[in-house]
Amino acid sequence: MKILVADDSRVMRQIVIRTLRQAGYDDHDIVEAEDGADALAKVSSEKPDLVLSDWNMPNMTGIECLQAMRASGSAVPFGFVTSEGSPEMREKAASAGALFLIAKPFTAEVFSDALAPVLG
Amino acid sequence: MTDSVIDPVDTGERRRRADAAPVITDLIDEATIQSIAEEAWQALVGEEEFLVPLPGDAPDDAVSSWVEIVGPWNGAVVLTVARSTAEELARCLLKEHAPPVLDDEDVEDAMGELANVVGGNVKAVLPGPSVLGLPEIGAAPAAGSPADTCRVDLLWRGQTLTITARGAAGAPHDPSELDPHENEVPL
Repeated sequence: MKILVADDSRVMRQIVIRTLRQAGYDDHDIVEAEDGADALAKVSSEKPDLVLSDWNMPNMTGIECLQAMRASGSAVPFGFVTSEGSPEMREKAASAGALFLIAKPFTAEVFSDALAPVLG
Repeated sequence: MTDSVIDPVDTGERRRRADAAPVITDLIDEATIQSIAEEAWQALVGEEEFLVPLPGDAPDDAVSSWVEIVGPWNGAVVLTVARSTAEELARCLLKEHAPPVLDDEDVEDAMGELANVVGGNVKAVLPGPSVLGLPEIGAAPAAGSPADTCRVDLLWRGQTLTITARGAAGAPHDPSELDPHENEVPL
């Protein structure tokens, strides 16, 4: 299984990857993307099983990436990992086709709960 | 004959107050900001990391990171620490991935993410809809009115950490709420 982690912060990508390991997903391949446009390209080239994406990023935001993926016919499972966890943002995320939204700061337990239905 | 319903002393003040943009102190308090910061620190910096609500010495070489919020309330959430504290925070966030010598990009990235997480959670408490900006680093944005500033002075590992939610300079406010005194410590 392969997980694509998209965040414009290298530090946050490291924290997300570390938390994935803590949540028990340490045997998955991890691919990193530094913004939404990079993530969109790597969805095609790397064919991940799950995309974990920040919302606010330069070049292309996370939700723009998700909308572009769905418009191109990609049904890859997609979840947000973002500092904005308001009900309004959760509704926007769900409407665009995201499976979940993990709000920063997060714990390994939150990752387990969100990812288990997708990755098992 | 009925009494007149026209208030002879209606100056429009009540309507102007209702129309005035909200100030941050009406929307969030210091305890909430501290609670948001403590949660961010324990999740990102380390489980055993605590913030003590005490003012420290103002750093000579302050580094600020912030995110702007645009919506019913306009302003920024700003984190300010000494340069050495910023480097220590970056090492904590990077953990085993921290290089022997940190470069500026790592420190700015770490400080920006801390501002992003604290600011994003402050935004969630404020009335919406609002838009959160991307993290910025450097000299903090100009302070707005003291009445539109919520400041929290904390110590992390004995080092000064100041978090302010500050209205954008020039944002419209009810002039009667302005504090004539300036902030003594520029951040």
